[in-house]
Amino acid sequence: MSALFSIAWRSAWNRRFTLALTVLSIALSTFLLLGVERIRSQLRDNFSSSVSGTDLIVGARTGSTQLLLYSVFRIGSATNNIAWKSVQALEANPGVDWVVPLSLGDSHRGFSVLATTQAYFTRFRYGNRQALALREGKPFAELFDAVVGAEVADRLGYHVGQKITLAHGSGELNVAEHTDKPFTIVGVLARTGTPVDRTVHIGLAAMEAIHLDWFSGAPMPGVHIPAEQVRKFDLTPKNVTAALVGLKNRAAVFRVQRWVSTYTDEALMAILPGVALDELWNVIGVGENALLAMSGLVALVSLAGLVSVVMAGLNERRRELSVLRAVGASLRHVLALLAIEGGLVTLIGVLFGSVLAVLGIAVLSPWLQAQFGLALTLGLPTPNEWLLLASLLAAGFVASLLPGLRAYRLSLADGLSPRI
Amino acid sequence: MAMQSLLLRSAVALASVGTLGLALAAGPAPAATTATHPLGGKATAAAKAPAPAGQPREITWEQLVPKDWDPMKAYKDVDFSKLDDADPKAAELLLKMQQVSDNAPANPEMNGMLVKIPGFVVPLEENKGEITEFLLVPYFGACIHTPPPPANQILHVRPEKGAKFRSMDTVWVTGRLQTTRNESMMGVSGYSMVAQAVTKYTGGAK
Amino acid sequence: MTAVLAAESLRFTWPGADAPCIDIDRLEVQAGEAVFLHGPSGCGKSTLLSLLAGVLVANSGRVMLLGHDWATLSGAARDRTRVAHVGYIFQQFNLLPYLSVIDNVLLPCRFSGRRRDQASRHGTPRAQAEQLLAQMGLDAALWQRPAMKLSVGQQQRVAAARALIGQPELVIADEPTSALDEDRREAFLDVLLSACRTHRSALVFVSHDQRIASRFSRHVLLPAINRAARTGDSAGSARAPAP
Repeated sequence: MSALFSIAWRSAWNRRFTLALTVLSIALSTFLLLGVERIRSQLRDNFSSSVSGTDLIVGARTGSTQLLLYSVFRIGSATNNIAWKSVQALEANPGVDWVVPLSLGDSHRGFSVLATTQAYFTRFRYGNRQALALREGKPFAELFDAVVGAEVADRLGYHVGQKITLAHGSGELNVAEHTDKPFTIVGVLARTGTPVDRTVHIGLAAMEAIHLDWFSGAPMPGVHIPAEQVRKFDLTPKNVTAALVGLKNRAAVFRVQRWVSTYTDEALMAILPGVALDELWNVIGVGENALLAMSGLVALVSLAGLVSVVMAGLNERRRELSVLRAVGASLRHVLALLAIEGGLVTLIGVLFGSVLAVLGIAVLSPWLQAQFGLALTLGLPTPNEWLLLASLLAAGFVASLLPGLRAYRLSLADGLSPRI
Repeated sequence: MAMQSLLLRSAVALASVGTLGLALAAGPAPAATTATHPLGGKATAAAKAPAPAGQPREITWEQLVPKDWDPMKAYKDVDFSKLDDADPKAAELLLKMQQVSDNAPANPEMNGMLVKIPGFVVPLEENKGEITEFLLVPYFGACIHTPPPPANQILHVRPEKGAKFRSMDTVWVTGRLQTTRNESMMGVSGYSMVAQAVTKYTGGAK
Repeated sequence: MTAVLAAESLRFTWPGADAPCIDIDRLEVQAGEAVFLHGPSGCGKSTLLSLLAGVLVANSGRVMLLGHDWATLSGAARDRTRVAHVGYIFQQFNLLPYLSVIDNVLLPCRFSGRRRDQASRHGTPRAQAEQLLAQMGLDAALWQRPAMKLSVGQQQRVAAARALIGQPELVIADEPTSALDEDRREAFLDVLLSACRTHRSALVFVSHDQRIASRFSRHVLLPAINRAARTGDSAGSARAPAP
């Protein structure tokens, strides 16, 4: 058998220029398959690790996926807010242990601004019930204090003491800025690998304060309340975007959810983050599967390319095959030779593609983290990825049986004197 | 099942729990589950037999309800089919029934028993693709359309090893039942369990 | 003493042909004999060689190699028997171009345990390969070179060395000198014949070139023994059908 391997290898190396393109296409399809699979599995993990220890998320009655997306992932926006009164009623509910209200809408140089209470820093969990930690400074305490996430600090080079201005609305172009009310960064959070990293956190009162002299998205003409004077006003928020809720008894989640949805004073809804995430994934899952299927098709095309290249070259190799027959290779050896050759070419392609995938992840990882908050990690292949690689190798070997069979029949007919 | 009023559905759900033989209208195909047809079906003689020592005993959701609990006692003479959801009397009744449901007591006989029970998964905590904490409910869509299950029909499960399942997957859960008595919400009690095993449910047999 | 090759009542018809192309009563080759097999084109020389080497199986009659009847063996068994006892030289393109000269010579030893064992009798197979190459007049500097870099004459000599490694009982040469010019032809015949004598291998040498017939002790004119060829029947043509 080792004789066949060495002959197959030398024979293939002899035709390396013809086979090079095939190797490249197999490498690319491997790269694609591995990349899609890795992003797929890590994307879900990323999403599910963004919130932990929260029993319900309460917001205006929109769709559960929408509520999840804007309250946890800062994707999209709320169509309606919830009244402060409703938040208070929620806190008063005997089954509720804690409520963390969230207010979104403003931004700072492309990063979302989240207004919340101090309870956020103790109650919000992510990953496996991990609490937030500060790598610099402390949580906000004064009115115009801000705490930024790790990505914000790293990308913009912020440290404790830095002064920043917030912009109204989201978006890169900061047209409407709250320039008269700058904030001071008092804390920087340690990296979490969740949207927290991409957020600037301020107090609810501060959110009220900067919008006191604004109306419907623009400063009111002729009205200007300077920073020093805002403290004189009542800075209790009138409404918030959403609220994270923790219960005393987790099994009571359904009845609190029902209480929220039948709340008569306002149209509210409450979602279970885990369930909503699964619903979101039902939708994304379709896209993921489509991507995976497409990558699979690409791989199939590459293998078909391999088969056709080898098949096309068989005619020229009839002499080679008859020499082998003359020195004792049986017809089965001939079949095996072609299959091994195809398997070797696939193996090289797959190895090359895997290396490309590793390089790709290493290179793209920082960009993906910055742009989408997606933490792609390197590391050993997952069971699924091993399965993909093994399937590719097996498929390459099996596909090569086709030219193998053709070679078998050619050799059989040629005997020891090929027609060429 | 056609869209019956919420009131009627609540009454049906409440009535079916714990009262043998009061199985109402047949309803949808055998595979579907509702409040009247929880996963695993009704208790049979075989299910009631004790298991060999050390082995988990396969139970049904019905057995989680104390035998003497009759939630429909107060409403025996009410004709639910005549009441409309919009009727204020109906709303009041609904509220009362929901309270009864919320306070459904646990069966003290079940405390500490090693059991195996089928149900649907409602994930609470997920980490790296595995569910580390979830609720087990007796019927599909327990958190969406129909009224939520009574307190003694919800199992709070913490699996020993992370379970790779998704929302509303059907599973067998094996572990030792603990009845819990929580101070909140007027002495609500329920069941919790540290599950030794969470396996895929393949319909009917083990 | 068993004949190395013995064919009796041998008849062979190509599939799809009307008439047989080989019809031979008797043909025997003894150990150590050098047989010059000749005849005009189309008389069935290549087909006969294939039958003698067990590549083709007779429709009727027997072909025995060292007492083994080819027809009783399976395809794989025929391949094994062939490589164990027969060395083969083609007219051209004998070698795998991407292997070195010495690796080409060693090929039969990689496919046959018996050839390898025979070659190891006085040392390693590699040692015998080097010895044969030297005997063929090929300089040691050439041994590691890829076979495609050699001239046609040199390649034929390598082919001869390969046919002889492991002392097969029979060497079949199918027009090995037809592509060589006169000088090289004589040189090739010298080394081939002397090597066969040294190793006591029988040689069946097919050619249409009468000029070299004198080098051989025994001549067989194929149309003389092949009834099918005598009729000059084109229906029994020795051309193999398309695969």
